Amino acid sequence: MKCIKTSVTLLLSAGAMCALWAQAAEFPRTADGKPDFSGFYDIATITPLQRPEFLGDRKFISAEEAEEARSRVAARKSEGDKTSDPERDAPPDGGDGSPGAAGNVGGYNSFWIDNGDDTNQVNGEFRTSIIVEPANGRRPKFTKATQAKRTKRRSNYRKNSGTAWWLERDEAGPYDNPEQRPLAERCLLGFGSTSGPPMLPVLYNNVKQIVQTPKHVMILNEMVHDARVIRMDDKHLPDTIRSYMGDSIGHWEGDTLVVDTSNFNDRPGLSGASSSLHVVERFQAATDGTLLYSFTVNDDTIWEGAWSGEYSWPKTDSVVFEYACHEGNYALGNIMRGARILEQDVLTGKGGDE
Amino acid sequence: MREETGRPMSKLATRLRRAVAPVAGIAASALLALGPSTSTAHHAFGAEFDPNRPLILRGPVTKIEWVNPHAWIHLEVTNNDGGKESWMVEGGTPNTLLRRGLTRHTLKIGTEIIVDGYQSKDRSNRANGRDITFTDGRKIFMGSSGTGAPKDGRDPTAR
Repeated sequence: MKCIKTSVTLLLSAGAMCALWAQAAEFPRTADGKPDFSGFYDIATITPLQRPEFLGDRKFISAEEAEEARSRVAARKSEGDKTSDPERDAPPDGGDGSPGAAGNVGGYNSFWIDNGDDTNQVNGEFRTSIIVEPANGRRPKFTKATQAKRTKRRSNYRKNSGTAWWLERDEAGPYDNPEQRPLAERCLLGFGSTSGPPMLPVLYNNVKQIVQTPKHVMILNEMVHDARVIRMDDKHLPDTIRSYMGDSIGHWEGDTLVVDTSNFNDRPGLSGASSSLHVVERFQAATDGTLLYSFTVNDDTIWEGAWSGEYSWPKTDSVVFEYACHEGNYALGNIMRGARILEQDVLTGKGGDE
Repeated sequence: MREETGRPMSKLATRLRRAVAPVAGIAASALLALGPSTSTAHHAFGAEFDPNRPLILRGPVTKIEWVNPHAWIHLEVTNNDGGKESWMVEGGTPNTLLRRGLTRHTLKIGTEIIVDGYQSKDRSNRANGRDITFTDGRKIFMGSSGTGAPKDGRDPTAR
């Protein structure tokens, strides 16, 4: 009996060794013996950052459910490919009721969109959220001070009515100055924390490139060509030097690359975060040959506790395409000029028609 | 096609497109299939385009700007007086299509297209390409998932 147990143990150990060997094969070693994560990754996935609330603490779904989710996504994409009525009229006057940034005008055809087809798989589990801590897969509550600020901000939100509604108030308008506009709109940083940290999947432009040397690791984000340069085995910059993506320093813990980032300015890429944001990221080879990316976010001025997430970064044969955001950014000019014209309508009582 | 206002013809429609809200009891796979909760966009279309200026444009493609953050497709529209007007319509990032092997040469100059959307608030001849098709109604590019409704949680004017 003892002999059988020993044999099973040996077999399992051999299996584990094979798995490790396979991992090493996916990621060659650098001259200094570290796993070389250099390469391209496509991080698009249908797994959301936060778990849908009704799933509670259910961290993953079955392979069958993951296949069903994939089919639903594929069906929705096929729906979008359907032929439109060639005799169609203009869309509804007053707006088409579309939500979010489609802003009551419908956005654009989603053949432009590239936000993934599959549920993200970590250690063989089809994950229901990127966030894994807290156990409900959702960010902790906002602090009371943050809740109050967000409530006040929300009271200023308006549906797109095509009017200069902000002139009804005594406060500054949202289009008074280009520097008030979102960072993505100004081509300063990709939206949705695509460049992070933490780096999260978004609507499109989800390809990353890692270039690794003994002294630096560079991560290039396709959207707005944001490049993170991580200094290895160094100290943080002085507290007074701050930036959108913060100051990142790295070190190795065995075969895991650990990156510590602080020194953010007051508008980090992570929505809602402040200059107090502190992020620790870990990059390691996963057993399935992908790169396992995990992170912990701490900003106690915003959230009541720290939160952590993880998801796989599959390698891709694609590359990072050029972005050159400013050159083609006609939108910002259209937005600012449009606001001036709508204001003139109110001030002159024209009401919008030429 | 124009009205007396000088704008391309618009028509009041009674049907509003509504967002599909998740309901209790729906399958896990269905909720996941809604896509990442971080879906956002480069800019809020609600900030740029005027819901009170719907339009439909028909005409040949004259130029394609295959640029980021959003591609722009130019076309020539003939108005009721027989006059020619140049319009340009906004799409998404060309990188998505490049990755599928589609380039700016995929859509040939001179191809007749139909675009519905809304004019930009600055009242220049610019609009969002809400739905861009060939004259028989086929989408000019495939691999889509319905009319896009990207969300940008940072823009107060988009709510």
